[in-house]
Amino acid sequence: MTARRYVTCGILTLAMALFLTAGALAGNDRSGTANAPATATTAAASGKQDEAALRIEGERRFRANCGRCHQAPHKFPPRMMATIIRHMRVRATLTDEDMRLILQYMTQ
Amino acid sequence: MRLDLEGTSGTSRKKPGVRGSRIRPIGITRAASQMAMRCLAVLCLLGIPAVACAQSEPLDFDNIKPVPVFSAGVGFITAFQGGTPNLDPLVSPVILVPLGQNWLIESRDTFESDLAPPPDGIGYKGVLEKEVDYLQVDYIANPYLTVTVGRFLTPFGIFNERLYPIWIRDLQSDPLILPIATGPSGAQTGAMLRGGFSITPRVEMNYATYFSTLSTINRIDSDRDAGFRTGLFFPGPRVEIGGSFQHLLQDDHSNAFGFHFEWQPPSTSLDLRAEYARSHNGSGYWIEPAYKLTNAPIWRHELRHVQLVGRMQQFFTGTVVDDDLPVLNTNMFEFGMNYYFRDDIRFVSSYGRQFATGGNENVWTLGLTYRVALPLGHGDVQ
Ligand code: HEC
Repeated sequence: MTARRYVTCGILTLAMALFLTAGALAGNDRSGTANAPATATTAAASGKQDEAALRIEGERRFRANCGRCHQAPHKFPPRMMATIIRHMRVRATLTDEDMRLILQYMTQ
Repeated sequence: MRLDLEGTSGTSRKKPGVRGSRIRPIGITRAASQMAMRCLAVLCLLGIPAVACAQSEPLDFDNIKPVPVFSAGVGFITAFQGGTPNLDPLVSPVILVPLGQNWLIESRDTFESDLAPPPDGIGYKGVLEKEVDYLQVDYIANPYLTVTVGRFLTPFGIFNERLYPIWIRDLQSDPLILPIATGPSGAQTGAMLRGGFSITPRVEMNYATYFSTLSTINRIDSDRDAGFRTGLFFPGPRVEIGGSFQHLLQDDHSNAFGFHFEWQPPSTSLDLRAEYARSHNGSGYWIEPAYKLTNAPIWRHELRHVQLVGRMQQFFTGTVVDDDLPVLNTNMFEFGMNYYFRDDIRFVSSYGRQFATGGNENVWTLGLTYRVALPLGHGDVQ
């Protein structure tokens, strides 16, 4: 096998592995990922204190993530913010949990 | 915008710095620049309602239906390269169309012009250049994986995908190594898998892996290649380290690789970014610290809007000449000062000196950049 094929196969294997891992993790994850938001939702319902804690966590994640590439933006109307966060999730490879907490923070 | 530094590049695929060519006498050009300033002012006003209508009520964020968004980077830069003034107006509209819970169609085009004095010295000339930067469909398959198909920005290093837009970059010139492995016009045509997830609460991992086909179609050209980029982000100290690799599946089947580093210490307003890239076309690096004077001991109110930037870079030629890269070993230093009126509108300025065996050169830039973002429908939850 030539070096070229090696590299191509390597990349394809890596892609496959990522796909499979992602799929497997996603299977677990329905509970796992939803964990943060689910925790978030339950917590929010369970009282004002938890809501404040979520807001603080959302703000922390906003500060850690949204000024990394450009100046941290101001708030936009909620439906617009949802699109922007989806865009940034893809572009900035933000985690699902970051995305949800930041969206919640930015629409409050 | 890609400022080309005279004498370092030959003819380029996406010709940096040479854009724009409606032949006009200088008087009309001045009118054109006034017009561009007016457009900027109007766009600023358009942006204000978006800020004004941000809500203060908590919302059930899972049920927020995203609305299509129009956004654009707008800039008017005057560059003096080796003493010659160039006027560079640029508009780069982005359209975002979310579909359902998991889909996003996104595109960005760039319209730019580089108006320079012709050899006879009368007026300014240039052509209007149009480019489809990307046009892609994203499917968020699960929290770990997003599948993208279409034309997308090459995820090699950090500048091309993350820092390129005129309203984001701290210095208006491109790093010398930018053309390494980013492909013709910085984009690929094919498919990409990408995502980001937490490994532990203190470490997040991100990745992007892609395959691109050869396209020779004007404005949407790309190479046939495959590659990946991965990074580890530490949200506590706000550090990212990562690496990129690309294998060309055409011509000489060469490889390219690179590393990147980003650090934004939480306690200060410092951004430190650096990148290294190497291919058979050459190798080099850039280091760019940017510091916002948020804690200046005097005039804090005025100075907190000021950002000081520096960039040091070196490029070393490779075994195969690439028209977009300098043809000689080159060193360059740049210093900039930006004034942020808001997070989305700023005045930019910089001075740079380039040292190459073929001759040294000064590069000055002055300008205004703006990012507009508007909902294409009701932005508020009804
Ligand atoms: C990894 C880099 C990166 C991070 C992190 C990032 N952005 Fe961006 N952002 C970009 C780039 C690049 C663009 C320009 C998109 C384009 O022109 O194609 C952009 C564009 C935007 C825009 C303009 C509208 C649009 O969607 O194009 C807004 C608003 C924005 N980002 C907000 C955010 C918020 C909020 C966060 C935090 C959740 C964030 N960004 C995090 C890189 C980043």
